[in-house]
Amino acid sequence: MKPPTDRGSLVLGAYVYAVLTFIIVPLVIVIPMSFSQSDYLAFPPTGFTLKWYAEYFDSRQWRAATWLSVQVALLTAVCASLIGTAATYAMVRGRSRFVALFQILLIGPIIVPHIALAVGLYLFFQTIGLSGTVPGFVLAHTVLTLPFVVFTMAAALGKVDANLEAAAMSCGATRFQAFRFVTLPLVLPSLASGALFAFIISFDEPVVSFFLSGIRQKTLPRRMFEDIEQNLTPVIPAIATLLIVLSIAILLGGHALRSRSKTQSSAG
Amino acid sequence: MGNEIFVKAASTTPATAGASIRISRLEKRFGPVFAVDGVDLDIAAGEFIALLGPSGSGKTTILMSVAGFEFPTSGTIQVDSEDLTYVPSNRRNLGMVFQNYTLFPHMSILDNVAFPLKMRGLPKAERHARAEAALATVRLGGYGNRRPNELSGGQQQRVALARAIVYQPRVLLMDEPLSALDKNLREDMQLEIKRLHAELGITVIFVTHDQSEALTMADRIAVLKDGKIKQIGPARELYERPANLFTASFIGEMNFVDVTVESVGDVVSVGLPWGETWQLPATAAVDGVKAGEAAVMAVRPERLRLGAGAAGQIVNVTLSDIVYAGSAMLLIGRLPDGTEMRARIPGESQLSSLAPGDVASFTVPAAAILLYQGKR
Ligand SMILES: Nc1ncnc2c1ncn2[C@@H]1O[C@H](COP(=O)(O)OP(=O)(O)OP(=O)(O)O)[C@@H](O)[C@H]1O
Ligand SMILES: [Mg+2]
Repeated sequence: MKPPTDRGSLVLGAYVYAVLTFIIVPLVIVIPMSFSQSDYLAFPPTGFTLKWYAEYFDSRQWRAATWLSVQVALLTAVCASLIGTAATYAMVRGRSRFVALFQILLIGPIIVPHIALAVGLYLFFQTIGLSGTVPGFVLAHTVLTLPFVVFTMAAALGKVDANLEAAAMSCGATRFQAFRFVTLPLVLPSLASGALFAFIISFDEPVVSFFLSGIRQKTLPRRMFEDIEQNLTPVIPAIATLLIVLSIAILLGGHALRSRSKTQSSAG
Repeated sequence: MGNEIFVKAASTTPATAGASIRISRLEKRFGPVFAVDGVDLDIAAGEFIALLGPSGSGKTTILMSVAGFEFPTSGTIQVDSEDLTYVPSNRRNLGMVFQNYTLFPHMSILDNVAFPLKMRGLPKAERHARAEAALATVRLGGYGNRRPNELSGGQQQRVALARAIVYQPRVLLMDEPLSALDKNLREDMQLEIKRLHAELGITVIFVTHDQSEALTMADRIAVLKDGKIKQIGPARELYERPANLFTASFIGEMNFVDVTVESVGDVVSVGLPWGETWQLPATAAVDGVKAGEAAVMAVRPERLRLGAGAAGQIVNVTLSDIVYAGSAMLLIGRLPDGTEMRARIPGESQLSSLAPGDVASFTVPAAAILLYQGKR
């Protein structure tokens, strides 16, 4: 006898495959296009060449834009994790009456449209001379990425028993030592993924970067938009392909790290 | 054999003398709530004190004030005459055991126990040697390489105990350390803690809401209610002569009968609700009862004797339940006015003839009767 077919699970399966297809199709189109020999974006691609990759790596402008984005994303990841962790710790453990207000302020950037934020930052940074500078980008991106760090850290810190810190302090640890030796190691995987989030979000953030970029200081997404407007050569899919490979590598790396720390903590 | 281990351990570990603790006029308010309301407590060096009371009576708040996790609204806390009231917890050098083990899950057992020594800047080799010794003291030698989640609840709590004593503090604070354990383990751990207390000479403050735990373990028990100490004394005193109605009803089983005081002198005469008048020895009056006022008469169920004897008052009880309770029979019934009365009678030979509905006579020895002001 065959087990009865469950229609619900069939429909669900079909749905899942449809969504996956929808997500994967652009990738399947973009990657072959980056190897196309024609001088403009075309599908299906013709021939095979690596010249668009060569053009990307040879161009001073592309390299400068990439380096700026890497710098900004790294610094943003550091700032957002430091500030986000401290702020979340205060919210989770603190007894202040202003916790609710604080929470709204931190999460605000998710609700406020980025374009509004961008215009505001643009006007403000113009007057104080931060426009088009690394600190300017980092400040703006830190604000944008903080909510993601706060979300991951709130979940992680909420799971750490406050009595563990009390126990550490009764053992002679200062409040900071209790955090450093007990809480931090327990939330480190979440902190790492929060920082990763911040890095990726900052790295391909287009809207605010568009407003804040100067003539010489352009982030990679901003530079890509310019190229799309002016040339529309397959160098764009080449960069996109590189970014896809990089993101997958980062994700797999993070996954490996997490599963390693899990097996370590369960079987020591 | 247990004794041998005890002597050996005691001779290898130098007995650290405990510290004396003085809590004066301690008060802690949370908004309108008086969590602790004027507590005075003098604890001698090496004494084992239990804080016992119903939920919300302020036990944890007192302990946390001593530990330095709560700062009192007013009052002082002195340890060996040093004022610690507002000293941060990490500089008090007190050992602490929490209810839920609170071992650091990412560290090995040895590192857990060595943690206080690390915070005190001891070199690694010495840390580990002393942590091993502390683990041996709680009979967990050789468990150092394991992780907390590989130990049972009782073992985890013993590790927490080792961590609390590893730096030889002079005071050990425990907040319901055994309430997460099942009954058998709890009794083992009670003995373990008693043994450690004797071995180390450390002063212990032990919070519990389990009265039998408090009665068996502590030198003195402080009974708390609404942030106040209602009575403090050794177990026998608390049980045999509770100082007030609250303690009388909180500790152990007690029968209560509302009476009116008719006269107070060499004897106290009280009018019972069913019309009789009893002459009680003046020592029966625990607090100052006055003629013409209401009072409550209290008798422990195990003090009642079945049958009309010579020395004492006689009561007639209409039995409703006869329960076999192992070492004794529990007889439950009603006095002539309807007040419930319980009696615990050891041995069942004389009881076989009794059945629910029967009226049985009991003798209440005069010495077993206590008298308190007020109504029950
Ligand atoms: N942080 C706090 N904020 C407000 N009220 C508190 C706080 N801590 C304790 N209380 C209140 O103080 C009173 C005493 O609490 P405490 O925890 O000391 O009681 P307890 O005797 O330990 O009770 P339990 O047996 O339930 O642990 C309670 O009424 C409690 O609600
Ligand atoms: Mg409590």
